[in-house]
Amino acid sequence: MSDFSGALVVRMTVLAVVVVFFQIGVISEVPVLGVSADISPLVVAFIGLLCGSVLGAIAGFAVGLLVDLTLLQTLGVTSLTFTIIGYWAGRLREARDPQALLTPLLVGAAAAAVATVGYSLIEFLLGVDAPVSFELLRQIVLGIVVDTVIALPLWALVRRMLEPSLPEDPRRRRRRAYTTGGLSPLSRA
Amino acid sequence: MYDKTVRRRRAVLALLVVLSLILLTAYFGEAPGGGLHSVQRGFLAVVSPVQDGANKALKPVRDMFGWFGDTLHAKRQRNQLRKQLNEARAQLIATRVDQRSYHELLTMYHLDSRLSVSDYRPVTATVVAKSPNLWYSTVNIDKGRSAGVRVNDPVINGEGVVGKVTQAASDGAQVSLITDSTVGVTAMIDATGATGIVQPKVGDPNDLLLQYLPASTTVNPGDYVVTAGSISSQGDSLFPRGLPIGQVTSVDEQSPYKSVNVHPLVDLHNLDVVQVLTGAQQNLPGRLGRTLASLPAAGEGTQPSGPLNDQLASTGAGG
Repeated sequence: MSDFSGALVVRMTVLAVVVVFFQIGVISEVPVLGVSADISPLVVAFIGLLCGSVLGAIAGFAVGLLVDLTLLQTLGVTSLTFTIIGYWAGRLREARDPQALLTPLLVGAAAAAVATVGYSLIEFLLGVDAPVSFELLRQIVLGIVVDTVIALPLWALVRRMLEPSLPEDPRRRRRRAYTTGGLSPLSRA
Repeated sequence: MYDKTVRRRRAVLALLVVLSLILLTAYFGEAPGGGLHSVQRGFLAVVSPVQDGANKALKPVRDMFGWFGDTLHAKRQRNQLRKQLNEARAQLIATRVDQRSYHELLTMYHLDSRLSVSDYRPVTATVVAKSPNLWYSTVNIDKGRSAGVRVNDPVINGEGVVGKVTQAASDGAQVSLITDSTVGVTAMIDATGATGIVQPKVGDPNDLLLQYLPASTTVNPGDYVVTAGSISSQGDSLFPRGLPIGQVTSVDEQSPYKSVNVHPLVDLHNLDVVQVLTGAQQNLPGRLGRTLASLPAAGEGTQPSGPLNDQLASTGAGG
């Protein structure tokens, strides 16, 4: 954790607060296809994807707690869901380090699905009288689709905001060296 | 070194998950007046001005999205037509309710003027936040206890019934919408006067169900459902009589008590300004007292009966 600078923590904090208030103040008020997008689980997943599992989990817990506090929801439900999302995205980066262009799209879709389904499961376990119907399933699927559509531009924004403060990644340095010819066998030939 | 990193990573995850579970268990297990609820309300009181400011600052962004929507869907034209429809609908409902009230004891004892909206000390509030998930149909407003808002106060807007206050902080409050599973409103079919209870429809969070209607009641699709002006239990909110709730879409004839599917008239996805009827809880005993005083004495041979008696009985004061 000592690899991470104070500047990164400040940027993450600002990002978390702005995302939660923007979600509540704007995104929730603009229905698309009858549902509202939820950018907070996407941002948590992208933080994990950029910063790793530990910071991803911490960011997930903090954003979840802020959402629960601001919306007067049951404390801990969103924190638990987002912690798992942030950790999982971080582990994906640490174990596989996927570089495909569509990775953020798939991660965003998965994060939205885990957030919706996880939240619903916990509410079921807590005994909340939750209606299950085709209409509800339609809204859940539409919500995931809308979140997936906005995943790529959101990924660009999150990366633009956090990348200047990220520590140097040896794997990234190695890849860059290959692409610029530093360690390429062709350059040595 | 690797083992240390793995151990640290797993420890952080375990710590955060356990912390979440502790929070969840403690919050779910404690009473609404408990410590965590108080912390939450305190947090709301702190961030409410920030939310309000952010809401105002971000309004242009919302408007910009709205502008695109208008362009694509001819929203302006639709809004004009909807406004005209609302006015015509309000006139129709008012006329029907007036006609009916003329023949009832309610008109005889002038209860309509005593339960009118102006008596409820309406407080105008702006919606500053809206729950984004499917399980809670709630919004947050920028008026709280300092403006006289209390838990269970009815909330309405120009189109009809919106919901009721479920939590109140000093400068903000949470409103559960009429589609929330915790809200139930005593209502009647305005054409016949048959009374039942409107609750969210299980299986469709955007629709309502008017239940417990007598089996002999005649209900037709298109009939309007309005508030009955009474409460059925202690924790209910007292709405003024005749406020529009929704329009009948279909009727279920199979159960012993007739139940009716109702589509809400209020556009709950686009709430901006609402009115909280802050005088409903405080003035209820006084209003009932005045009503009882205006009734003829029992010895004179005239007993209150029918809807009035039901109303007094249902509010717990009519005996």
